[in-house]
Amino acid sequence: MIFETLLHVLLLVGIIVSAYLAIRYRDLLACAVALGVFSFLLSLEFYILQAPDVAIAEAGIGAGLTTAIFVLAIKGTSRWEVEE
Amino acid sequence: MTSLWFLTAFILMLWIFLSILRLILGPTAPDRVVALDTVNTLVVALMIILAVAYNQIIYVDIAIVYALLSFVTTLYIAKYLEGGI
Repeated sequence: MIFETLLHVLLLVGIIVSAYLAIRYRDLLACAVALGVFSFLLSLEFYILQAPDVAIAEAGIGAGLTTAIFVLAIKGTSRWEVEE
Repeated sequence: MTSLWFLTAFILMLWIFLSILRLILGPTAPDRVVALDTVNTLVVALMIILAVAYNQIIYVDIAIVYALLSFVTTLYIAKYLEGGI
């Protein structure tokens, strides 16, 4: 069971890293991509915690809808964060 | 025997980390999108391997739903970069 624990630790580190990237980039499209990675890894975390229905909902909403809607919003506004 | 499947899942998780490294370093947006797509595919493989490790046949369904939906995201970003939508 040592590898299960290692897998869990690595997954949580990946979630933290991608969440940090999602708020750090100036390019909003890169932020949306990092948020997509975050959402996928969160779905995998729900899966490993053995909640398959929550994992399906997270995959559907987080992966499918949220990133697509964010891309539509970026298309409607501006792609680069402006520096004051 | 179960430990073998978890070892495989752990190695795949290391590869996901290498993709996240490309997400961090990637100079242009297409690099990051390709990293996202690689993470998608690896997560689907990881879910099927974990379904074997947990010995639950219902868990494969999530991987199917996931593989279907992860395609949509990549398609949207690709269309945006192309200048479509």
